[in-house]
Amino acid sequence: MDKLHINQHISRKFNQELEAVRSKVMKMGGLVEAQLAGAVAAMSAGDPEAASVVARNDYKVNALEVEIDEECTQILARRQPAASDLRLVMAVIKTITDLERIGDEAERVARMAEFMGGDRFKDTTMSEVEHMGQLVGQMLHDVLDAFARTDVEQAVAVVQADDRVDTKYESLIRQLMTYMAEDPRSIPVVLNILWAARALERIGDRSRNIAEYIIYLVKGKDVRHTSLQTVLEQAGRAD
Amino acid sequence: MENAVKRAQPIIGVDLSRLNSSGEQPALGERTLAMETRGLSLYYGDKQALDGIDIVIPERQVTAFIGPSGCGKSTLLRCFNRMNDLIDGCRIEGEVLLGGEDIYLPSVDPAELRRRVGMVFQKPNPFPKSVYENVAYGLRLQGIKKRRVLDETVEWSLRAAALWDEVKDRLHDSAFGLSGGQQQRLVIARAIAVQPQVILLDEPASALDPISTLKIEELINELKTDYTIVIVTHNMQQAARVSDYTAFMYMGDLVEFDLTGTIFTNPAKKQTEDYITGRYG
Repeated sequence: MDKLHINQHISRKFNQELEAVRSKVMKMGGLVEAQLAGAVAAMSAGDPEAASVVARNDYKVNALEVEIDEECTQILARRQPAASDLRLVMAVIKTITDLERIGDEAERVARMAEFMGGDRFKDTTMSEVEHMGQLVGQMLHDVLDAFARTDVEQAVAVVQADDRVDTKYESLIRQLMTYMAEDPRSIPVVLNILWAARALERIGDRSRNIAEYIIYLVKGKDVRHTSLQTVLEQAGRAD
Repeated sequence: MENAVKRAQPIIGVDLSRLNSSGEQPALGERTLAMETRGLSLYYGDKQALDGIDIVIPERQVTAFIGPSGCGKSTLLRCFNRMNDLIDGCRIEGEVLLGGEDIYLPSVDPAELRRRVGMVFQKPNPFPKSVYENVAYGLRLQGIKKRRVLDETVEWSLRAAALWDEVKDRLHDSAFGLSGGQQQRLVIARAIAVQPQVILLDEPASALDPISTLKIEELINELKTDYTIVIVTHNMQQAARVSDYTAFMYMGDLVEFDLTGTIFTNPAKKQTEDYITGRYG
């Protein structure tokens, strides 16, 4: 569980501070996951009320980001963390930025559901958007799990999953463009769906970012902006 | 004798209301104070070493004094148990209060004061006696002779100083056989054996290796549950790690006093900022 040996510092207070930050990231992750699930569910059910609740709750995610940032600042200033401790603090600071943005994207999906009211667009299209929502929901879940367990293998799986989301997104875009060409009156609604799909696709990207921070945290290798092949090589190196 | 005074109003120089709480820390204004100085100036002959210092030492907290060499931080620390009395030509003005009472009044017995305000120095200074006798020394001075009381207090003090497990099998060996870090913890055990209210630490870890240093710091963190701790350190990072409040001193002045978290992330004075970021000093 504690692969980074967080709890083995001579200073017990330092142990507590790192553990507290880590569990707050998990708390924030759980909240963001719930926000995303709520937004996707509201969209599927065509429930503007539920969507509006999700949109209003985003401030909780933001508040946690500010709180964790402050704690990380204190740790940097007072503990001068080194090696794996430093990588943990850096990974946390970057992870919560992405989590906060995932929260914003979830809010965007919720706003879209709110805007649509109870109206439903073509069922086939909506179920594809929902499926995308499930895919990125799973990615987010897995990456948070990988963070909790500092599990590099699972982080790599999340990086790979992002490719599938991107493929899905592209095919959905082609479909939506066809609708717009066929019936210009559908453009306002289709644009709305497109933005929601775009938000979900971004959630996939941001989950991938978090996966890359986990690889950095455990392996000390920065795999951002590299090919999947490089990610696999760096992550596969022996501990 | 009452332990300490509650003080709600700001005193000169230190605006307590400004030291607002951040996170779990209560505001300094709400803390009980263990010690406090009022307009404290100190002269070595003609040379002024401290200039009208007003500072408060919150009870059961760690307060660190930092600043460049010669800024007066050790001098200020020594005022808290009248160690400066021993220096020829040393003269002080102002007040130093312990539990609301001026410790420089003629009626105060310096030996009793130093029992209540213990001190640990930079270099470990165990007596040329056994581990046991080092810790029991202060108790014997107080006339305690009962073996059981001595045994219990020695064990309790060594446990409190996180040294018991390392020395329990050689209590009657010479204290000089211990490592530097162990000797320093032994000296701390000796200081707490007489149950002081305040422990003054003057560069307690500067002669120790990094791991022994961390052990001393961890010990300080544990001791603050029961004692008020004031530490002078050249090592700013140590102050950042170990203290709750930090005072930055420069040329005999108290430049800034605040929560340690504030001093090390957003100090109010440029002088403090320059010192802690290594721009001068």
